[in-house]
Amino acid sequence: MSITLDQVTKRYQGSPVVNDVSLEVGEGEFYVLLGPSGSGKSTLLRAIAGLTGVDHGRIALHGNDVTHVSARQRGVGLVFQNYALFRHMTVGENIEFALKVRRMKAAERRERRKELLRLVALEGMDDRLPTQLSGGQQQRVAVARALAHKPPVLLLDEPFGALDAKIREELRRTIRQVQRELKITTVLVTHDQEEAFAMADRIGVMNLGRLLESGRPDELYARPATRFVATFLGAANLLLARQTEQGIRFGAAPVNARRVEKLEGGREQEVVAVLRPEEVELAPTRDNLRTNFIANGIVEEQVFTGAFERMRVRMADGAANAHIASPNTNGGNGSAALLDVTRTQHEQRLFPLALGQSVAIGVRRIHVLPTPLSSYTAYGSDEASCERLSQHPFLVELASRMKTRIIKRSEAPLVACDAPASAPVSGVAVIAAGQKTAEQLQWLLQNGAGEVLVLPAHSSAPQRVLIHWADDSARRSTLAVAASLLRHVAAEAVYVGILPEGSGGESQRPFGVRTLLDARSEAQAVHGLEMRTELRFGAAADELQRQLTESQDPMLILGVSDPAQLRGTFGALFTSGSTYPMMIVYRPSKDSEGAVE
Amino acid sequence: MSFRQPSILPGFGLTLGFSTFFLSAIVLVPLAALVMKTATMGWSDFWRVATDARALASYRLSFGASMLAATLNSVFGFIIAWTLVRYEFPGRKLIDSLIDMPFALPTAVSGIALTAVFAENGWIGQYLAPLGIKVAYTWIGVVVALTLIGLPFVVRSVQPAIAEVQRDLEDAAETLGAGRFTIFRRIVLPTVFPALATGFTLAFARAVGEYGSVIFIAGNLPMRTEITPLLIVIKLEQFDYKGAAALGFIMLTMSFVMLLSINLLQAWSRRRMVAAGR
Repeated sequence: MSITLDQVTKRYQGSPVVNDVSLEVGEGEFYVLLGPSGSGKSTLLRAIAGLTGVDHGRIALHGNDVTHVSARQRGVGLVFQNYALFRHMTVGENIEFALKVRRMKAAERRERRKELLRLVALEGMDDRLPTQLSGGQQQRVAVARALAHKPPVLLLDEPFGALDAKIREELRRTIRQVQRELKITTVLVTHDQEEAFAMADRIGVMNLGRLLESGRPDELYARPATRFVATFLGAANLLLARQTEQGIRFGAAPVNARRVEKLEGGREQEVVAVLRPEEVELAPTRDNLRTNFIANGIVEEQVFTGAFERMRVRMADGAANAHIASPNTNGGNGSAALLDVTRTQHEQRLFPLALGQSVAIGVRRIHVLPTPLSSYTAYGSDEASCERLSQHPFLVELASRMKTRIIKRSEAPLVACDAPASAPVSGVAVIAAGQKTAEQLQWLLQNGAGEVLVLPAHSSAPQRVLIHWADDSARRSTLAVAASLLRHVAAEAVYVGILPEGSGGESQRPFGVRTLLDARSEAQAVHGLEMRTELRFGAAADELQRQLTESQDPMLILGVSDPAQLRGTFGALFTSGSTYPMMIVYRPSKDSEGAVE
Repeated sequence: MSFRQPSILPGFGLTLGFSTFFLSAIVLVPLAALVMKTATMGWSDFWRVATDARALASYRLSFGASMLAATLNSVFGFIIAWTLVRYEFPGRKLIDSLIDMPFALPTAVSGIALTAVFAENGWIGQYLAPLGIKVAYTWIGVVVALTLIGLPFVVRSVQPAIAEVQRDLEDAAETLGAGRFTIFRRIVLPTVFPALATGFTLAFARAVGEYGSVIFIAGNLPMRTEITPLLIVIKLEQFDYKGAAALGFIMLTMSFVMLLSINLLQAWSRRRMVAAGR
């Protein structure tokens, strides 16, 4: 491996800007780090170059650990967005800088300079000053300069940011060519998904300091695992659906989409489906559709963009409820039922459309995200408390980052705790922390809740998330929930493994350590979650309580396979109103066994 | 007019006329008077006054000490400006405003203050005296006074230039394998150089013309610690107006030549940077 990152973490004023990133970039690979501004991608690049130290983790270049090696010694090739050319030196002097520093002979230097200028197609420009060159040419010089000393890897930090579209494309091609010719391992940082698609062998998508997913461009586009990647890489409509034995249902309309990818686990549940705008089919009536019907709709917006026609269709019927976010909205209620659609010229000719026309909407292909967190339902004993809970800053932030909705539901049994719910619980149930948290949890779990978020009235966004499960049968689902949640929270994840004290003590340690390693590798392999691990001895509730009070702005994700555990083993956590958010994950043990393939 | 260009100030004719008038009234007319006065002397008279041993010694002290002070200021002014721009520390704002103090202080006050501090029984002078170093009433005192009044010129010229040195440049040089010293010498210094030259010029010009603070600390011994401006004043007091004008003319010429050459040097190095597109 050319570049190996192992759980690299960089904190800024306590909160992680690069959060447990592990990554391997192969020999000669062109790897693109893609993410919005502030996602930590540039910081990560600077960490690889050695310009920024890391607080945790390990960095290796070609198998040599360079975590504590200075930028000067690492000698990577680095290209900046603003070129960073030395303006008082000529093009030739700029390129020779690294060679001069290394005391290379003048004749050899000249040789290498000529070679590099040929490589970036700037022959004969040796004596120009950078200010006499265009932006594109300057960036070529910067690339040549970065390659002069034959660096182990080439790092490019938004190299095309300051250039206009046409030159950008040309330079992209040059850089790709140079990279192929030299077979140099390259990492490029960008926020432009088109650029990522155009250049990458593999793309890694970053958000909130985490590396969410990493893979070939076509794979990431077709089968994203997270909402963020689905919506950031290309446009996507996110739909809430129910997955049943028979297939996917959108709201009231049962849809037997044939090419639906199955979610593991047999249980009927709410899921998040990705519908790309180009996978939507429009037809005059339901019978004209060649694909699966999902709803009727009315054309509400139409934009001609040359090769494609872009439109937004308002969904009627029950399916309107199913839609949570389209590419250009943040789940605002007014546009919730608007579906983004793109059609090719060919499709336009076959079925010309006008504003206001009603159409039948069909789906060619739907991808179901493997996330257990679909939507949030705020539960309270009356309207007012529901309203208050649904305005909780942390909940609102979570929901908007997950581009999902918050439903309010007031249920009297939340107080009495014995009557059945008026409707089955779906998605994540949210309750306010209080004296009766334990009873309310019990009631929600009995009524079909799989995940319950307990929020104290005053809690800020967590910085440290502790993960624990009562027994192995809760492990998988807890990890899935943790992975999904942590993609939307800038917090460090720690799995706390607890062994009972006195039961063999030291002899238990190897077993405990293995449990931790298993947990970590499963989180990494199955859920793409990087977390740290800690082993404790003692009573589970006490140890968790201690850890939680020691951390600043903590959160707890707790997995159980039997509701009784909440009152038994973990009872101590619920006796007093907690001051930190808690996510309770419950899967009855026989079901979760079935979920393991 | 063919070279009329759009501008936010009204009337090219008006502004040009005003500039010419102002420059004439403030600069050109007094200078012309000085030259005319000098011209009334005979050539041999002029030569005698200008090359008088006492005058020669005063030129050496005036220009030599000014040069030395401006050089010292360039070094320390650069370091101070660097510290103020690159680091955040408590009291930074306070130090930043203290830099301007020599601008505001009456020069006589700073001269007296320096004398008190550096005299043999002063705060600092008492520790220097056993080492055999005398500051007050020697040429060293002159340099100290000129350094004090010249410092803000360098700091204020260099500060914005340092702020403009992109960190990326230093990062780039570091990844290319340059050590700290190389980065400073080959990257930072050349970038800041034009501004540093401006600061040096201003500090030097100010030092050559300085009178108030120097006469208190210099002791004014003829041939040893007598600066040219003082010699001019002495001649004026003796009603030797022509002699004073002659010395003034020499100072004027030498200053002009030196400033012009510094400016040319600076223009040459700035042309290499060409306001640098971006």
